[in-house]
Amino acid sequence: MSEKIKKPFKLSRLIRKTIFYLFIVTLAVVIILPVFFLVSLSFLSTREAYLYPLPLLPSLKARYSLTYGERGYLLSVYDDFNKEYQTVLDTNDFEKMSVYMHSQIGTPFSIPEIEEVIKDLESGPEDTVYFSARKDLLYNYDTFFKVTREAVPALLRSLQIAGMTILISLSIGGLAGYAFARYIFAGRDALKFSVLFVRMFPGVAIALPMVIILANMGFYDRPIGLSLVYSVGSISLTIWITASIFIGIPESLEEAAQVFGATKVQSFLRVTLPLALPGLAAAAMYAFLGAWNETVSAIILTQFNPTFSVVVYQTLLGSVGQVNLAAAGGLVMALPSVFFTFFIRKYIQQMWGGVTI
Amino acid sequence: MATLKMQNVTKQFGRNVIAVRDFNLEVKEQEFLVLLGPSGCGKTTAMRMVAGLEEVTTGKIFIGDRDVTDLPPRKRNVSMIFQNYAVWPHMTVYDNIAFALKLKNLPAEEIDRKVKEAAGLAKIEMLLDRLPAQLSGGQQQRVAVSRAIAVNPDIFLMDEPLSNLDAKLRVSMRTELKAIHEKAGSTTVFVTHDQSEAMSMADRIVIMKDGEVIQVGSPDDVYHRSRSIFVADFIGTPPTNFMEVDVRKEGEGIHLVNSHLNLLLEPALAKHLNTYSKDKIILGVRPENMLLVSEDEAALSASCLVSEPQGSHQVVAIQLDDSIIKVIAPASPTILPGTAVHMSFKQETLRFFDPDTTLAIND
Repeated sequence: MSEKIKKPFKLSRLIRKTIFYLFIVTLAVVIILPVFFLVSLSFLSTREAYLYPLPLLPSLKARYSLTYGERGYLLSVYDDFNKEYQTVLDTNDFEKMSVYMHSQIGTPFSIPEIEEVIKDLESGPEDTVYFSARKDLLYNYDTFFKVTREAVPALLRSLQIAGMTILISLSIGGLAGYAFARYIFAGRDALKFSVLFVRMFPGVAIALPMVIILANMGFYDRPIGLSLVYSVGSISLTIWITASIFIGIPESLEEAAQVFGATKVQSFLRVTLPLALPGLAAAAMYAFLGAWNETVSAIILTQFNPTFSVVVYQTLLGSVGQVNLAAAGGLVMALPSVFFTFFIRKYIQQMWGGVTI
Repeated sequence: MATLKMQNVTKQFGRNVIAVRDFNLEVKEQEFLVLLGPSGCGKTTAMRMVAGLEEVTTGKIFIGDRDVTDLPPRKRNVSMIFQNYAVWPHMTVYDNIAFALKLKNLPAEEIDRKVKEAAGLAKIEMLLDRLPAQLSGGQQQRVAVSRAIAVNPDIFLMDEPLSNLDAKLRVSMRTELKAIHEKAGSTTVFVTHDQSEAMSMADRIVIMKDGEVIQVGSPDDVYHRSRSIFVADFIGTPPTNFMEVDVRKEGEGIHLVNSHLNLLLEPALAKHLNTYSKDKIILGVRPENMLLVSEDEAALSASCLVSEPQGSHQVVAIQLDDSIIKVIAPASPTILPGTAVHMSFKQETLRFFDPDTTLAIND
């Protein structure tokens, strides 16, 4: 009875399946392509990053040719797209050549190594020598943290701000969500709806009043100030997420705890809180992402103590102004949120033994 | 174990909802007391006040000699089984049962011993490592029972604990709960809206309606000596049949008469109506107290509407004007729809109700 059941061929099914897969592929491309370009760009050398057309993948090494030039030696780099060597430098300053090879092409090449190649050129029969050098793939990342001196403190500051935002919005929003879920009081629904009002105003629009308020509180240009601003938005979201989670946890579970010897606080901490963990994790994720990725308010509300997103933004537009560096910075910035999201995701999916309460 | 006393307890929600009104009750030691009533009658509220989950508006509650009226639930030494079991889904069965014991800071060996003892009583020793999500509804129920036993409470509260189980399991759990009660000897208050559950389990039944106690008595009392039309109608399947009849005094005897019926009351019963001044009563008669007789003995004759065979007996529905009365008859011969049915009554079982107050006259 191992005979396979053969479905009769049907054109309509074929068409339907084709359209379905086309749709899925398109969706995947739309989502994955920008990420792919960001990753690829962050590994491109400066020269590659400004080539037209842009290489799809970063090269792993560069092929050079060296010959005699007007001012000294003529350095050329092989261009994969045009299949020819393109002259990039004409100099007899070895240090300049070495720096250029590292910073623009991404291949670390020391002066003694250059002298070696020149010896080859002078002793060889041809008037051109060819050589290649391995690329330093992490050059952009390295450089990003070198040229933007604030990058590391800004990264720590961003983590601190995101952490404080989670703490503030979970403690206030979580408790408010609990109140909305458990207690009946006058104006409850109106109040629950009205907490969403704060999310209706774009950060830019209320930034100036915020600057003044924070300055008055002494929080301007300080992490606590920014996390307060971010908390306003994420508290309302936390309230909505946690309220619906708390509603889903039967009150009788708490009552049982109280009957069996727990105080109200104990019954909350021992029964409700662990059960609400998935919801709290989701709320924490939103709070983290909101605080971590926010740029506009951070630009306005900081001066000497920028967040990491501001630093990345400045790399793109500021004095450094290199897309590949900005891409490296952007990727560094994306990593914590990706990690955090994946870490939290386990909690969100983990609903005690696979059963929703 | 202890007694439970509720004195003039009233519970008011908001400004004008009175859930329980002037509730008085005394539960004896080791008694199995059932609060019975339709949904919204205040029975659950009454129990929750005992547990301390609802505040008492006025009145007092005593457990033994202790006034617990204002104590929080944890200080009352009661345990409770909830309608939805309320076992904590993030704890193993063992931890569920041990929860209260751990909060009391008992030594670990004692906790272990008590948990296993309680689990043994409810027959779930082999499930101690499981999470509630891995258990069936009946097993979760047993966990709730063990958890309640383990703390050795003064009062056992059960809030419709069987209503979430399927019909067959419900009946077998009844027996087990009753057996556990016998073994543990705990004072128990059991809330249900299922009258057959109440009848089968209770030492005494408290029947409630609209926040008030209607009747307190043993299952026999409330069944055979229902104090009002409400009780007579609420208890029993099928419930009591009611007929409005005229009271006619003719000579020595008293006749109950309506368009179908002419019944001469025996003197023992008639004396209950001697002092009764109105000329109408509601006659209540249990379905099993109507006998099928030959035509010339009949007090009541009508035609059969349908017959519902039950195996051991059949329930014959009879149309009288616009009401239907039900009679329990022997299983054979099967009574076909449309055939004439002649009936008489076991007179000593008849209940007379005042049509205005709906209360029983012959008590």
